[in-house]
Amino acid sequence: MCGIVGYAGENSAASVIIESLKKLEYRGYDSAGVSVLGSGIDTYKSVGKIVNLEATIPNMISGNIGIGHTRWATHGRPNTINAHPHNSGNPCKISVVHNGIIENYMTLKEQLTAEGYEFKSETDTEVIAHLLHKHIYEKPDGKEAKCELLTGVRGALKEIEGSYALAILCADEQGKLVLARKDSPLVIGLGKGENFAASDVTAFLNYTRDVIFVNDFETAVLTPTSVEIFDREGKVCEKKIEKIEWDFEAAEKAGYEHFMLKEIHEQVSAIHNTLAGKVSELEGSISLKELNMSEGEIKKLSRVQILACGTSWHAGLLGKYLFEQLAGIHCDIDICSEYRYRSPVISDGTLAIAITQSGETADTLAAVREVMSYNCPTLAITNVVGSTITREANSVLYTRAGPEIGVAATKTFSTQLTLLYLLAVKFGLSRGKLSPDYVKGFITDLRKVPGQIQQILNQKEAVKECAENFAHSKSYFFLGRHLNYPIALEGALKLKEISYLHAEGFAAGELKHGPIALLEKGTPVVTIATKGQTYDKVLSNIKEVKARDATVIAVADNKDTEIGKYADVVLTIPQSSELLSPLLSVVVLQLLAYYTALARGCSIDKPRNLAKSVTVE
Amino acid sequence: MKAIILAAGEGLRCRPLTLTRSKVMLPIANRPILEHVIDSLKENGITEIILIIGYKKERIMDYFEDGLNFGVKIKYIEQKAQLGTAHAIEQAKNFIGPENLEFLVLNGDNLVEPKTIADLLNNYEGDASLLTVRMEETAGYGVVLKEKKRVTKILEKRPGDLSRIVNTGIYVFTPQVFETIEKTPISENGEYAITDTLQLMIDEGKIITSVPTESKWLDAVHAWDLLKANAIVLNSARNLKLEGEVEEGVVIRGKVAIGKNTRIRSGSYIVGPVVIGENCDIGPNVVILPSTTIGDNVTIRSFTEIQNSIILNDCRIYSHGQISNSIIGSNNTIGSGFFVEEKEGLSIIMNGTIHRAPKLGTIFGDDNRIGNSVLVKAGVTIAVDCQVESGNTIYKDLSRHSVVL
Repeated sequence: MCGIVGYAGENSAASVIIESLKKLEYRGYDSAGVSVLGSGIDTYKSVGKIVNLEATIPNMISGNIGIGHTRWATHGRPNTINAHPHNSGNPCKISVVHNGIIENYMTLKEQLTAEGYEFKSETDTEVIAHLLHKHIYEKPDGKEAKCELLTGVRGALKEIEGSYALAILCADEQGKLVLARKDSPLVIGLGKGENFAASDVTAFLNYTRDVIFVNDFETAVLTPTSVEIFDREGKVCEKKIEKIEWDFEAAEKAGYEHFMLKEIHEQVSAIHNTLAGKVSELEGSISLKELNMSEGEIKKLSRVQILACGTSWHAGLLGKYLFEQLAGIHCDIDICSEYRYRSPVISDGTLAIAITQSGETADTLAAVREVMSYNCPTLAITNVVGSTITREANSVLYTRAGPEIGVAATKTFSTQLTLLYLLAVKFGLSRGKLSPDYVKGFITDLRKVPGQIQQILNQKEAVKECAENFAHSKSYFFLGRHLNYPIALEGALKLKEISYLHAEGFAAGELKHGPIALLEKGTPVVTIATKGQTYDKVLSNIKEVKARDATVIAVADNKDTEIGKYADVVLTIPQSSELLSPLLSVVVLQLLAYYTALARGCSIDKPRNLAKSVTVE
Repeated sequence: MKAIILAAGEGLRCRPLTLTRSKVMLPIANRPILEHVIDSLKENGITEIILIIGYKKERIMDYFEDGLNFGVKIKYIEQKAQLGTAHAIEQAKNFIGPENLEFLVLNGDNLVEPKTIADLLNNYEGDASLLTVRMEETAGYGVVLKEKKRVTKILEKRPGDLSRIVNTGIYVFTPQVFETIEKTPISENGEYAITDTLQLMIDEGKIITSVPTESKWLDAVHAWDLLKANAIVLNSARNLKLEGEVEEGVVIRGKVAIGKNTRIRSGSYIVGPVVIGENCDIGPNVVILPSTTIGDNVTIRSFTEIQNSIILNDCRIYSHGQISNSIIGSNNTIGSGFFVEEKEGLSIIMNGTIHRAPKLGTIFGDDNRIGNSVLVKAGVTIAVDCQVESGNTIYKDLSRHSVVL
């Protein structure tokens, strides 16, 4: 997703910004650009990787104030003209980088065109540049500033509808840049004699760990030695300086070829961290200190509404099964981008649970704002401390998975699941649906999971071999029943995301209602067939598939001696309780996706068209 | 100075523990041997480390990452084929220099203290230096012959009483060594050994010096040697912290460390030196005696007694167990009434050779599931992913995936 950076300091702005943009690469992008404020404004842009941009910038470029951008195309194709920064004035007076979407840009564009502003790009952002120019210089060929940049920014923002994080340079205001935010992430980093701004702290963690999170409708002025932040009315506001604790170095690949494989391996320690201090095996109790809910409130719950997108939605879908099965609470799950527009009915006694890795997912934030407008208590499950959702939701549970850089989510999925298990079991216990003895057994099994995941990783060669054998299939199917249905969906999504293979996940029972028509000789059908109440039904489904000459890859318990008779390939997981087996099956499917993409030579950590943190709706 | 740590080998003689991790990752006082090595380098100001990895490399990479949490910078280089120590060192050639500076080479599976490294760093000279220790029993070790400081001959692991001066495998080289490595012939067992390179240097008239040390240098040849190393390290451990929760009615004597989020329940009796990791649930009424190390996320239930043993991560040991002089790999589930027999002076046969073990109970690899009331005879090992049903006595070694009904 688009990323913005800004720099005001003593060093060469261009080189600091290039370094920062490189750190934002993981968000996904198709073009990049930079503007530097010297005697005038110099702008450089290019399509493709940051190194291309680096090559277009002359060595001797001076200027200690600058802005930069990585673009993930929403309005207009990925090309140099559409890349940011967007400028206005001749010679250039205003330069803008933007993350977000301007919803009324067509109207503004028509007005500005009528007033003589000439548009070069197809983007919504260029509107902001010209609108700012109009507010400060009054007309397209205006040379004299009629007001200060900050005043102009404030005036222009009143006309804009939509979401934005902005960093702005003005040729007539030396030594500073201006920032503004609404519904898109923006954070300021405080250094010594230099200050930073970015969509994401990773951009400047090499330089400083002291940060200020900018809130909606706030504007800020950054100079090398000062940071001033103003609220909606233009009054200076006092902001808390926060310290970023996690190690950026953990975001390096440490010997692995790809972040994704590293992160699959990190699930062992990530789940340890998620569980740390939350469970007591002997007492069969679960303590979630961050959950702002009394036992009474938990008892009174009549409904859980889960809101999520993508991989988090799959975690949420499993959560629905868990809340209903373990806690006896009616649970709905919605895709966030649909939720707002379907006139949701929110009754008393509903708890909304929003799941987002980054805490910045625009669709999820919008859905959360929707439910919160009904005074519905909201719990966020996220991985990023200080992210927008943590400031909006009533309570927050952190997955504590550490930074996830691979665009395809792995360790954040399994830690999200871990939290959902804990929540559902805790609710079940509080509501008298589960006995302490049951919970004790559950905790014993849950504490086995990290070791069992390590056991799967120890034998990943088998998954690799399987992936290589089927890497050139046209399409892939994934089947699962009950708790493994969401895992089948997730397995298919992982494969789609990074290997670009056509893959679909189905509830195994649905196959015969349509999708079975797609089966051809040799089509690989991954079937999750771990022991449990639906095992026999899944075996029948496997037979259905085999009868159509398709190839069955079964994910099964390592003590299952029967499955080998029906499936062509068996990938095993350690024997575990039926309830927790999805946490193990998913690791096999993640490895399958990884090795398939590797065999196909795909760009695993930065798949085409995808962004890590999806900050547009 | 940069250091190259050789960490690519498996450590065959430490099976079954090395079936799922390499020898450098075997824990002593809850930290892999390799971490002790890296710490000792860091104490001497060596923070640029090149790790040569191969067997089960992910376990090493997952643990150390880029070294930031350990105060060093780690560069990983994979030795794809296990072609000996000289070949392993050669892999790092492009990362040494370009300046003509000396560099340190050492094994990741020998435990050293900071002083050991300092002894070599303060006294190296000539074209190459090697650190030596004096040992009475040299079987299984490479030895050197020398005149004053100068090494005249290097003898690799062969029987005989030619010398008691053992080569620790800790060297200081200059980049010139790479020229000799290129000329090193392949040995009888198909490897390019750095000892052959050194012999070649001696033959060419280069000056190889030996630096003696009396500081700590421990080589865990067999898995059971870990127990001794663990006891030694625990005895000299400093800065032990009680970070977990210790309930009322727990008795703690001697040096004991308890990790974060670990709970020691009432009635437990712990006599140090003992180290217990994070997120463990121990007790009530568990007895832990010297010199024991317990990893992370381990559950030990009431009335179990553990003595002079190493329990790795993610194990669950149920009530009324008795474990002594044993090593239990990670992710083992052991039922109630588990009993390990122990004996002194056992003869253990591995690959047709008889090895003498000191007092030993059992050694478990990872991922085994043991039912209730199981007895394991002294010196018997259980490999990986075995299942033993309740009520059995295990008389002989179990290989991978065994099932005992």
